[in-house]
Amino acid sequence: MMSTNELLRREPNFIPAKKNKKKIVGDVIYYTIGTILSLIFILPLLYMVTASTKSPDAYAHALSDKNFILLFIPDFTNLKETFNNYKMILIDHELWKYALNSLLYAAIIIVFNVIVNGLAGYVLAKFDFPAKGFFNFIILFLIVVPIETSIIPLYTIMKQLLHLRQEMTVLGVIFPGVISIFNIFLFTQFFASIPKEYEEAMHIDGSSRVRIFFDLILPLSKPIVATTVAFSFIGVWNDYVWPDMILYKDTSWPLVPVQVALNSIRTIEGIEIGQTMAGLVLTTIPIFVIYTAAQKYIVKGFGTAGLKM
Amino acid sequence: MLLSVLTILLVVALIFLGVFITDFVRRRKSEKKYHLRESLVAYGLLLPSVILAFLFVLLPIVFSFKYAFYDYNFIEPDVEVFSGLDNFKRLFKELIHKKEFYYALRNTAIFVVLVVPLQIGLALLLALFCNNKRRGTTIFKICFFAPVAVSLSITAFLWASILDSNESGLLNTILMSFGMKEPQDFLKSDYFIIWIVAMSAWQGCGYQMLIFLSALGNIRKELYEAASIDGANAFRRFITITVPGLKPTFLFILITVFIGACRVLIQPMLLAPTYDTPYTTVSYYMYYYGLQTKEMQVGYSCAVALVMTIGIGTVTFIQRKLLGDKK
Repeated sequence: MMSTNELLRREPNFIPAKKNKKKIVGDVIYYTIGTILSLIFILPLLYMVTASTKSPDAYAHALSDKNFILLFIPDFTNLKETFNNYKMILIDHELWKYALNSLLYAAIIIVFNVIVNGLAGYVLAKFDFPAKGFFNFIILFLIVVPIETSIIPLYTIMKQLLHLRQEMTVLGVIFPGVISIFNIFLFTQFFASIPKEYEEAMHIDGSSRVRIFFDLILPLSKPIVATTVAFSFIGVWNDYVWPDMILYKDTSWPLVPVQVALNSIRTIEGIEIGQTMAGLVLTTIPIFVIYTAAQKYIVKGFGTAGLKM
Repeated sequence: MLLSVLTILLVVALIFLGVFITDFVRRRKSEKKYHLRESLVAYGLLLPSVILAFLFVLLPIVFSFKYAFYDYNFIEPDVEVFSGLDNFKRLFKELIHKKEFYYALRNTAIFVVLVVPLQIGLALLLALFCNNKRRGTTIFKICFFAPVAVSLSITAFLWASILDSNESGLLNTILMSFGMKEPQDFLKSDYFIIWIVAMSAWQGCGYQMLIFLSALGNIRKELYEAASIDGANAFRRFITITVPGLKPTFLFILITVFIGACRVLIQPMLLAPTYDTPYTTVSYYMYYYGLQTKEMQVGYSCAVALVMTIGIGTVTFIQRKLLGDKK
């Protein structure tokens, strides 16, 4: 597998040499089609950004006769209005609290996800113990069965068996996020490829197996850990249905993550569209950052995703 | 409920014990013995993931299967009445008499049939378009991929505002400035599902495009050179080299997009302001009856889930048999 950068720079497979005039016509057609296609994909997003920069008056003006083109041109001339939209959504509608919630959920889930599933992967890859086949079989079985369809029973388990009420429902978001059978599978595959000799050297020096895991195995597995972290973050940050179901709503400090909060904020009576859109832009930025920062690992993840079958 | 948890625990423990003993007996004859210390450490390190997986992955699956045959709801969570196939009969009746489940299934089917070819076809076309020597393809790729970074719920919020039914909705404004008289309520029409298809394909296809691009990059260039020396034209090269080269990737994308499409939930849930029969899907129907109705009919909801899982599993199996390698 290659990184996105390599992918983007990759030479095309084959382009036959053509005459100059023909080439120019081809170029013109190619770039015209490319621009039109790009516009289709980018216009709704451009509208989102633009609306977040406009005051209600400016937005109304853009809506009036034949001015709708203004809805796609971000207006940075009136920074005070733009700033006001972002300030209103962050401070007055308390988006910062919900974003902080999402970040905390993501941080806790990611740390425990890597440790818990990583340790399981390490044991399955490197240890010799009776009934190992039992665990391997369970993993293959659970990967095949889709989890989304069991979301309602999961809810009954949380409420009936664990009696999660009020603030405790936070655990209802964290626990199912920490366990990921697919990540155990990925970690097992990756750790199995680490040569035994490294581990044995540390073992002779008297290090415990847990120590070997943290000091040797994890540092050697940066690509797979980075992929897991990136996908976990995107998953937790973007999750909507489950937190909306499980979390208790009437607490002094809100518990819901940012995506769920946005749904209630956008339906508040009389909220300006500029503020809503500012909220959408702010919520999307972290994901853009993750995709940019981890693009190398995410494209690798496409390759490993193929293993899931 | 506690009783059934203990039963499941007992069954799992018995299977574990069986495998444990066979492993142990088999090993006694061989040279390599198990080390007690290593085994204990192994079980200790596996313990957190085993507990979590049991509670939050295995139990819900088993319960989902069990409740499908029970009359079980959240009003009386301690009463579990075995009802045999009643839940499935009710589903079947709704289907025949064209009640709610009929609409859920119809909408899901329309969605799947439209979105799978549209999204995959678009992704493939965009990948082929970007797999080009000309400068500037990077910018195109970024544009095509940008919607993927916007989450499904944000996409739904954004499109809800674009398709807004009053005059300030974006699409209504644009159409009206081109001479449309009345503002349209796009989401309350028969085209509801079409808009969800458009939205989903727009949001998702950049992801599959990158996977296709990665697969296109892995096809060896020498093949194309050899073919063109042998006099094969561009179309012929595409059919004989590109298509077979992309086949495994195509199958993978087909199955993942298909499964994702069958479970469509967030889009109808967030685009329609309230739950409404003509605008539901199977997943939404399952979610609604399990959680949002007053009775919270968990049993019925699980029956829907079971039917859905079997349906998805069957079609996926057929897809793999038809298109997969014969290895």
